[in-house]
Amino acid sequence: MMAQRPRIRIDPASGVPAVRQIADSLRVLLVEGQLVPGTELPSVRRIAMELGVHFNTVAEAYRQLAAEGWLDLKHGRGAVVVARAVPAVNNRARTEDFRNRLRGMVAQMRSQGISADRIAAELRAMAKRVTRS
Amino acid sequence: MRLVLCAVNVFMGALLFAIPNMARRELLFAVPVPPDLRESRAGRHAISMFRAVIAAAVLAGVCALLLTPPELLNAVATAVPVAILLAGGISFYRQNRKLAPAAVQFTRPREAELSAAPEELPRFAWLAAGPFVILAAAARFLYLNWERIPPRFPVHFETGGQPNRWAERTTKGVYGPLLFAAELCALFVAMALAGWFGSRRSRSRTVMLGGMIAIEYLMALLFALIAVQPLLGIPVWMIAVSPIAILIPLLIVMTKKMSEPSEPMDPTPNECWKGGIFYYNPNDAALFVEKREELGYTFNFANRWSWVLLLGLALVIASALFVLA
Repeated sequence: MMAQRPRIRIDPASGVPAVRQIADSLRVLLVEGQLVPGTELPSVRRIAMELGVHFNTVAEAYRQLAAEGWLDLKHGRGAVVVARAVPAVNNRARTEDFRNRLRGMVAQMRSQGISADRIAAELRAMAKRVTRS
Repeated sequence: MRLVLCAVNVFMGALLFAIPNMARRELLFAVPVPPDLRESRAGRHAISMFRAVIAAAVLAGVCALLLTPPELLNAVATAVPVAILLAGGISFYRQNRKLAPAAVQFTRPREAELSAAPEELPRFAWLAAGPFVILAAAARFLYLNWERIPPRFPVHFETGGQPNRWAERTTKGVYGPLLFAAELCALFVAMALAGWFGSRRSRSRTVMLGGMIAIEYLMALLFALIAVQPLLGIPVWMIAVSPIAILIPLLIVMTKKMSEPSEPMDPTPNECWKGGIFYYNPNDAALFVEKREELGYTFNFANRWSWVLLLGLALVIASALFVLA
């Protein structure tokens, strides 16, 4: 059976700006290694059409990821995943910021009725994936 | 002839009658409604009211066609279908407004596959070349039998069946209908391709492509019959009624496939639909989106390419003045 191609998903009702949802979805795939260096991404036009957003929204998400060193933009249309050197950051303030955001997210999930056990299981699964990639 | 005119108007009324059934179950008069509303008292009432107006308009039209004196028949025959369409449009809009407060917003996440592979057309798309073959065959037939074509032949008929306009055996007079049909078919191919590459991936998109190709065949057959009519003497009523033979099965198949699709409704924002018919969303890159009022797709009028295609349609229609004159 053919392996399913990676997909990104946005939820227009979530209240989170589409550009952030697209960039976040792509970043997850990049970090988890589902998009490896050399992979060609679809054109801005194609993704924008499928997601029902403006071309500029997708182009902006691509630009953000290119600025982070994940993508090489081709003539402003498609993009290619490039090998990215992980920046050596040992910044306590950054770690603290990350921890706060994670706590905020956990609190949000709990307020939406997701059990603490379920959240812990998700985090454990995520931690496993992170250590593998 | 009056009976044929009545039959054509009754058929048109029947098509309008079927409009509520030509949309997805979760849509009623282009309003996205809860799934149970269609079967509820309010839903059934809305459908009945819509159909009552259509029935009244058709009945009045048929009476007018049967009772009008012969000298007014031409004018009445033109006015009746316009009046039926107008009545249907107004009735549709009224029901749309009445149901609008019950509208729900479809929300579901959207997904995009991260494949850079070029999009391919389905295999059956090559059938779009068929209508051009039909038109070329008709042209060849006329060319080979040029001497048998009458020097002057009727091309337009009164409602009584009497010819009221003639063409001469010239290149333009003989091949004009075929040229016009070729223009129409080319436009339909352009629309079909724009629809395929300018809309979101879905099974409905494939149905739409098939429908466009079927309509292309309908146009080609109709104009090929018109073109060879002076040679073969095909009765005019047969030419007028022949498109229905393609149209009815096409509508049945498309209605079945699109009213109960295997995919959920495209969650286009309600506020971007004007009167439930016109979609205008500058923040949506799609050129075509699924219609809400019946089956098929419609333009996203915020996309400039929609205006280019409409201009193409206007030019093709305008060219009839020169090609068919």
